[in-house]
Amino acid sequence: MWRWLHDLVFRARAVFDRDTADRELNEELQFHRSMDVVKLRERGLSASQAEWEAGRHFGTLALEAERAREGWGVSMLAELLSDARHALRQLQRRPGFSAIVLVALGLGIGASVSLVSVVDSLMLRRLPYGNASRVHVFWMDDKWSTEEYDFVRERLGVLDQIAAYSTDAAPYAPSPDATGATVLPFVLSTPTLFDVLGVHPALGRMFDANDDRVGASPVIVISDPVWRQDFGGAPSIIGRQIALDGEMVTVIGVMPPGFFFPTPEIRAWRPLRVDPANTMYKVRYLTLVARATPGVSPALVHRDVQRLAKQLGIRFTYSDAEDKTKGAHAIPIRTYLLGDVRTPLLLLLGAVALLFLIACANAAALILARTTDRAGEMAVRAALGAGAGRLARQILAESLVLALCAAIVGSALASAGFRVLVMRLPLHHGFGSTVAIGWTSFATAFALALIIALIVSIVPVRHLLRGGRELGVNRERSEEGGHHGVRRVHDAIIAAQVTLAVLLVVGATLLIRTVEQIRDIDPGFDARGVTTYNLVPPSGMPEASQRQFFRDALARVAALPRVKRAGMTNRLPLRDLGYELPVLVEDRPDLAGVRRPNSLYRTATPGFLAAMGMRLAAGRDIDSTDAGGSPVVLINESFARRMWPGHSAIGERITEHWGPDPVTRTVVGVVRETHMTALTAESPFTMWIPLEQAPVQQGGVLVVRSAAPEAVVMPLIRREIAALNGQVAVSRVQTMDEVESTALAAPLRLRFFFSAFAALALLLGAIGVYGAVSYAVARRRAEFAVRMALGASPGVVLREVLVVGITPVAFGVAAGSVAALGASRLVSGILYGVRPTDLVSFSVAALALLIAGAAAAFLPALRAGHTNPVEALRGVVN
Amino acid sequence: MTTASSDIIRGTADMLILKLLEIEPMHGWGLGQAMQRLSRDALRIQPGALYAALHRLTREGWIDSEWRVTENGQRARYYRLTIAGRRRLVAETKAWKRLAGGVALILSTR
Repeated sequence: MWRWLHDLVFRARAVFDRDTADRELNEELQFHRSMDVVKLRERGLSASQAEWEAGRHFGTLALEAERAREGWGVSMLAELLSDARHALRQLQRRPGFSAIVLVALGLGIGASVSLVSVVDSLMLRRLPYGNASRVHVFWMDDKWSTEEYDFVRERLGVLDQIAAYSTDAAPYAPSPDATGATVLPFVLSTPTLFDVLGVHPALGRMFDANDDRVGASPVIVISDPVWRQDFGGAPSIIGRQIALDGEMVTVIGVMPPGFFFPTPEIRAWRPLRVDPANTMYKVRYLTLVARATPGVSPALVHRDVQRLAKQLGIRFTYSDAEDKTKGAHAIPIRTYLLGDVRTPLLLLLGAVALLFLIACANAAALILARTTDRAGEMAVRAALGAGAGRLARQILAESLVLALCAAIVGSALASAGFRVLVMRLPLHHGFGSTVAIGWTSFATAFALALIIALIVSIVPVRHLLRGGRELGVNRERSEEGGHHGVRRVHDAIIAAQVTLAVLLVVGATLLIRTVEQIRDIDPGFDARGVTTYNLVPPSGMPEASQRQFFRDALARVAALPRVKRAGMTNRLPLRDLGYELPVLVEDRPDLAGVRRPNSLYRTATPGFLAAMGMRLAAGRDIDSTDAGGSPVVLINESFARRMWPGHSAIGERITEHWGPDPVTRTVVGVVRETHMTALTAESPFTMWIPLEQAPVQQGGVLVVRSAAPEAVVMPLIRREIAALNGQVAVSRVQTMDEVESTALAAPLRLRFFFSAFAALALLLGAIGVYGAVSYAVARRRAEFAVRMALGASPGVVLREVLVVGITPVAFGVAAGSVAALGASRLVSGILYGVRPTDLVSFSVAALALLIAGAAAAFLPALRAGHTNPVEALRGVVN
Repeated sequence: MTTASSDIIRGTADMLILKLLEIEPMHGWGLGQAMQRLSRDALRIQPGALYAALHRLTREGWIDSEWRVTENGQRARYYRLTIAGRRRLVAETKAWKRLAGGVALILSTR
């Protein structure tokens, strides 16, 4: 034990106090030599003879020092440090080279680390539910009634608990004296929800069966962020009353940090009252989530859910458009919550891995070129006694230093750019806020660095051990022999790099073309200059005052300077889904009963179409005369075409049953096709009812077209609404452009990443080619000089060098295209209007790489063509 | 750089250094001289090997060193045996004697 400690202390001192150790050793050797000289002089030699003789016996001081030092055996650590220092000096000596590799590797590491963090947070880490693996969501979101929930609940088989929930939002004030209302998005659920998920509050309790009874005092469970941000994280929050939706609600619990359900946007949970006497009992707006008995396979859950569907079909009558007996299935909770994120994330991860490999190949090529350039230095060091092992270690040390620096650069990039990157990822509903970059990510960065260092060193070290050393010493004579080997390795690296780059560039072109195709779609509205605002009045506000409030709000906003038009609707196109119900079409007895078609139910004010930039195909717009007039409706083109093929729909009648009583309405206008649910999907049948004719207040989204920039308009309108009524919350303020971009989300955002990666891949590929060709040209300069002196034209030399440079690129392009054909299947899911094997994309990718390769080879080739024979032959080379 | 037949078998040098330092603390050059003199020029150690060995022995904790001034007024590093080194020397001497005895027995066999 003691010896071991002694040894450690000694080694540590030798490592960290190496300068002192070196100085002392030198002094000791000097002393030794001087004593030799003294002794020789005693034998009668002259001073200079003695010096010479002593030197002869002693060897050179430096070499003896080296020999003595070798005995130090401190090696490993000390030599590594010295290698590292040497490596740093080498890197400083070539700032350009170092910078390129650092940036390339740094970007590769940074991007990988960030994405690995995101993937880890969203796809690998456990969901914050105790029963995560057993929780399933029923098919058909937001389409279950409390009545159906009760029915299913009494017939559970392999499922042992079920909950129903719906999301809602209401204006709230953390304290009674707070000014201006904010909106609290929350879940209304049966008390079984927490039991299904297997979660417990961090503070207080969950609501239970007593809280959802009729007449129970209203309670709420809040999320950790609400507790911390709005109530300062005080434990006294339990039992406190908060003003929500015009009533006082008691806080009974706080969920633990990190908990979310169903999305991180939701900030509170309230009990849903299951009251058969309530009119809401039969309204279908809930989502069902169930927990399976432990040990039950998903297949069994699936069968059981189908059994339930059959029983539902016996008890309830469903329209064709909403038949629950068909396609019954249960979705595992993770897939339900994050399923749509999976494909884009995995694609991105794949792309990052490609980029990372390209960066590695690039660094390997550059280091190889550097190593062979330094063959002379290496040969000299070998001749002086450095073993191949020592030289290999030097290469490894350089790669390691480079990779570790790159890891630092990458980590810095990742932590600085992480939020920006996450914002650009196709994540929704606040899931971006749940991902974080942590120390594991940085550990990943350094692990990656080690891998890089190894990968990057393999080629040069192998080359070195296979005789790169002789190469340096006789390089004047054996130009061809040795260099063929290097060139082959170089070519292979470049071909590999280009192969990977082709994959990225093809991916990017496919996505760019997809986005173009989607952009070409006419959404049916004109998003430019349009801003939207959700206005949420407290539900305690009487119906009549709500209507009056919306009228006043519209009038005030429309009167603002630079506001062109303002309108109101219940649901925004592309963003807000739902509100779909069966309608009865007059004179179409074949479409009665369960065969009634579904139609989206939307409201509109006279200014709405104009504010949105939507156009009429026929008939008239809603106008002020409709306020007290006969029931009218606008429908979309596909509705009109399908129901009344061959003639105008104007004047036809349909019956909707949104309110308490059915209303038969006359079609007065047909709206040009507008994409209501998705840009890439056909729009369902849609009708617009005049807001003034809606059975209950169905406003909510204020739409404003203005000539002023959004940054000016938005605060102006917020102020206007607050001045009109401080109780009404303004939420989800968005430009229509944002709404449209969000609808484009996945392809648009993926396109951003793929384009960036592809550009980097092209750049790195070009750098690789440039480096390799420059290197080859420099090596063969003497040969070119001789040939040109013998009459070869510069053109011939230029062409030859270009061919040499382009050949590996061409191989890479061919291999990459084949690989891309195989891999394109993976992206097919997110493409639109472009086939995964799209010829244009493949040609563009191939051309881009060939051009980049040719351009990169051209400069050094030009240099070769301009070789001055005299200079080159005089041996100015090297 | 090596002189014929005079390089010491590796490993033996350590033992000889310990033995010489048991007599009295001395500096590196002195050690080399002593080795040559006491072996009547049969053994000679190269400076590189000498200082490497000294370093190794210091690391093992068998010897330690201090800087002193020689009688000629020069600064030199003097090495001396530690207690652990003394123990080591006893053990090595015993082992060497057994080995040398064995070798001698074989060589003297007719």
